[in-house]
Amino acid sequence: MNSFSPVFTQGDFILMLKGAGITFYLTLVSGLFGTILGFLIGWARTVKFAPLYYLLGLYIEVFRTVPLIIQFVLFNSGLAIFGLRIDPFTSGLISLSIYISAYVAEVVRSGIESVPPVTVKAARGLGMTYLQSFRFIVVPVGARSVLPAWTGLMLGLMKDTSLVAVLGATPPELLRASQIIITRIQEPLAILIGAGAFYFIMCHFITVVVNRYEKSWNEKTKVAA
Amino acid sequence: MIIIENVHKSFGKVEVLKGVNLTVEKGEVLCLIGGSGSGKSTLLMCINALETIQSGRITVDGIDVHAPATNRNKLRTKLGIVFQQFNAFPHLTARANVALAPRQVLKTSRVEARDLAEHYLAHVGLGDKLDHFPSQLSGGQQQRLAIARALAMKPDYMLLDEVTSALDPELVGEVLDTLRLLAEEGITIIAVTHEIPFAREVADRVAFFHQGVIHEIGPAKDLISNPQMERTQEFLGKIL
Repeated sequence: MNSFSPVFTQGDFILMLKGAGITFYLTLVSGLFGTILGFLIGWARTVKFAPLYYLLGLYIEVFRTVPLIIQFVLFNSGLAIFGLRIDPFTSGLISLSIYISAYVAEVVRSGIESVPPVTVKAARGLGMTYLQSFRFIVVPVGARSVLPAWTGLMLGLMKDTSLVAVLGATPPELLRASQIIITRIQEPLAILIGAGAFYFIMCHFITVVVNRYEKSWNEKTKVAA
Repeated sequence: MIIIENVHKSFGKVEVLKGVNLTVEKGEVLCLIGGSGSGKSTLLMCINALETIQSGRITVDGIDVHAPATNRNKLRTKLGIVFQQFNAFPHLTARANVALAPRQVLKTSRVEARDLAEHYLAHVGLGDKLDHFPSQLSGGQQQRLAIARALAMKPDYMLLDEVTSALDPELVGEVLDTLRLLAEEGITIIAVTHEIPFAREVADRVAFFHQGVIHEIGPAKDLISNPQMERTQEFLGKIL
């Protein structure tokens, strides 16, 4: 910025738009990796092996109880102490993925356990292997029952991405971008309303996509009138 | 031929099977009757290794079911099983329910699996429900779907675990009709049932289960009309 402007400029709008893009990117990438990791952890916890169950249970408890902001700082400092030079943005992305994986793991476990045992027995009784029955029966049936819970996690994740600001991660995501503008033009209400609208639009987008997907399932399995 | 020799099975401290001996010939229809908790259903699960056993031996066509080296997934393709509870795969159409295992387990082509599914669904009277989901089917139709699904694997044996017990009375008949069809075709059937008249009509032999053992076994008509043992008389007297 070469000249100081006390009003909201086109550049400010672009900064917020880019910030929204960064927020969406952080949500998408950490949501993807967190879901993959959480899926593996949740699945592993359903295998009847006590040490694994409790060890992963501890993992879940730690990352669900320690405030995310502390996780960001500790993880980032930890990397520095071990001499790993990773930029704050990537460090934040990894922290977010691990954080959300703990929540996803519990959702996945409850999804797997929601499939009636007799349905799984029927699959095994047909000669399917454990992996076949898992892939063709347990995953699709379980996924339908936990989709709303998983969607809730992803919406929460989007709002949590704003905390990467504590690492001074660049480029700034939506909330950080908004704060930068507020500091300059001193119009917090208007800018926060604008930022809130951006969050709403992005969250709503996710909800609409998931709902449409869910509806296509329900239409297939609906009870005949 | 299925040979069951001195099979013991416990759930924790509760011994459910206390030394069961039974031989089922190819083509035979055998009905297992007896009070609830007598171990009939458990025995069926042990025959296709959905449950483990503590001691004894079960062989199916000479293959030791519970030997560590046995490929139980392969063995189960020969042993169709239908349960009391509805267990159609809820996310698949009737056709896909039946086609899944032939496609994935027997590795048939997509077209072949589809044809198999349509053939067996028509066979159990569901030829007009191919694209219906389980939630759109009545209980009786779901059970017939489960039977078609088992038949599509072309099993040598069918294990039927009280397949009419969860049904409304008016739906029992259609499922029994389907089972009659199977019996006439000569497939070997071991059926746990409370439908005594049905057992009398279609079974070659009936076995009465009591306290974890086969208390009495004999030709269907003899055992049901003229039971020798006191417990069998008592049981039949109560339920007929």
